[in-house]
Amino acid sequence: MILVNGCLFLLLILSALGCSLLGPVPLDFVRAFENIFSPDPSAEILFRTRLPRVLLGVAIGGGMAACGVVLQALLRNPLACPQMLGVSGGASLGGILGLIFFPHWLLPIAGGLLGEISWVPLTAFLGALLSMVLIYRFSLFHGRLHPYHLLLSGVIFNSFIAAVIMFLNSIVDFYQAQGLLFWLMGSLSTRAYLTVGFIWIYIVIGFLWLWTKGLSLNLITLGEEAAMQLGVETGALQRQIFVASSLMIGAMVSVSGMIGFVGLMIPHVMRLIVGSDHRLLLPASFLAGGIFLCWADTLARILLAPAELPVGIITAFFGGPFFLFLLYREGTKKLAL
Amino acid sequence: MGQSCGNHWFPFRLGFGDRLVGVTTYCDYPVEAQRLPKIGGFMNPSLEVIVAKKPDVVIGVNTATDPAKAREMERLGLRVTLISVTSLNDILTGIKSIARLMGSPQTGEQLVAKIDADIQAIKKRVAAAPRRRVLLAVGIRPLVVVGGKNFIDELITLAGGENIAGSATQPWLNLPEEYVVAKAPQVIIEAGMGSERQQSGNRWGDLKSVPAVTNGRVYAYPSDKILRPGPRVGEALTELAGLIHPECFTNPSNDKRNGESRCESPKP
Repeated sequence: MILVNGCLFLLLILSALGCSLLGPVPLDFVRAFENIFSPDPSAEILFRTRLPRVLLGVAIGGGMAACGVVLQALLRNPLACPQMLGVSGGASLGGILGLIFFPHWLLPIAGGLLGEISWVPLTAFLGALLSMVLIYRFSLFHGRLHPYHLLLSGVIFNSFIAAVIMFLNSIVDFYQAQGLLFWLMGSLSTRAYLTVGFIWIYIVIGFLWLWTKGLSLNLITLGEEAAMQLGVETGALQRQIFVASSLMIGAMVSVSGMIGFVGLMIPHVMRLIVGSDHRLLLPASFLAGGIFLCWADTLARILLAPAELPVGIITAFFGGPFFLFLLYREGTKKLAL
Repeated sequence: MGQSCGNHWFPFRLGFGDRLVGVTTYCDYPVEAQRLPKIGGFMNPSLEVIVAKKPDVVIGVNTATDPAKAREMERLGLRVTLISVTSLNDILTGIKSIARLMGSPQTGEQLVAKIDADIQAIKKRVAAAPRRRVLLAVGIRPLVVVGGKNFIDELITLAGGENIAGSATQPWLNLPEEYVVAKAPQVIIEAGMGSERQQSGNRWGDLKSVPAVTNGRVYAYPSDKILRPGPRVGEALTELAGLIHPECFTNPSNDKRNGESRCESPKP
């Protein structure tokens, strides 16, 4: 068990290194390492543009996959993921509104810190949390959560949000529209280490919070009644998981938009490999999600060089067919939670 | 007379503004255009509004107007003229053909001659100046820049610059930061007018090896003159040249005092 996670961890480190070495422009590695702290192009390409982007990709891929795992378990539904539940959509809308109603008057006080690390992630987190509460409320009947209602209202909520974003897109300036589309497509870009650091903090806090619920998640997959009889406070568990995953999704969406398929596909693949014990499955999915997005983003940077593709296109392009293949090969039994 | 595209100021500049019966929702220049009835966005204009205006001719841009919609308008008996605005030459041809449509070809010739004169004047001014590597961004996050096959790429070249993304086949593209570092632009122009302006503050701060950043030559220059294809290309070129080679546009008397034109002295 530790072996699997150890191997994945090693693979993640190797992937991060490999992806940092690959890119649309050639790189002089020796020179890059000799000039880490001086303004040298090779060093800047490696340490200022590629490495922070790779680190961000690892955090977001891992976070998406971890959220997918817990949401699938909690709702006992193999289709659950941040996208399907409308939470990404809510976070996107929150982020966009945060950008449009940016508190300019605060800028002189808070400086660049406000734009880079706190304001947009905060509004995105509020958007994620609000949409999750809303969808949760709509799926609650007589105090019981109905997973199918939750999923359905989530899917509908996400389409609704997509329509709102497209509407905003058609009333803003033509050149501004490019910036809004990124929330729908999902793409990674180079960010300052400060931003990457804060996103990691949000995601690590959320992940550790979820990880401590591993055992309860194992029990809840047996059914809500069974879990209650075994001493799981299902209501409290649901609320905690919603808040923790909203925190992660808000942080991720605020810097990368809605990157699809990672949260849906990686949990299923890892469940096939390591089984359904969430204490093991959660870290394994985090690591695998990081590896996957890391490579997907490298392809996004290289394929049409010098232009780059939104990474959401790559994840859907590989994720979609692979997921269908998996469904076909494994039948319905093994995909069960 | 009516038209369906963001290039409505062709007729305005040609002095035919009063004959327009509708413009798109994106049209905000010149001010008179804001008062004209709107027919919808330039990619998706409303067919029934256009038909109701009974225009003699509908003018559109071939890359933006939906061909199916153009055919539909023709089927409804409207005369549709699509002009191309991909290259500088296309724009000049477009000006002439619109003037011809309005029954006044000489107005078109005059405007084109004026733009040509602007182009020649700028060419002469920057001829001796060193070519500068230029990045022209319209989007900050994600970074969207002007590629090749775009009239702005031609304008940059005419203004004595070299578009670092000019080799790309796309007219607009997303560019990864590492490419910017590798190409080391000497001038960065942020011409976009997005809501993300406030985010651009620290956009390039980390990239100390990029000459434009270290020499303080990153210009936040929101300009629809530069971005929109139309009769203002001459003015756009002048603006661009002023940003790329400001030393060529200083007061001539200063140059004389220095004993030489600063424009010709090689830059470090």
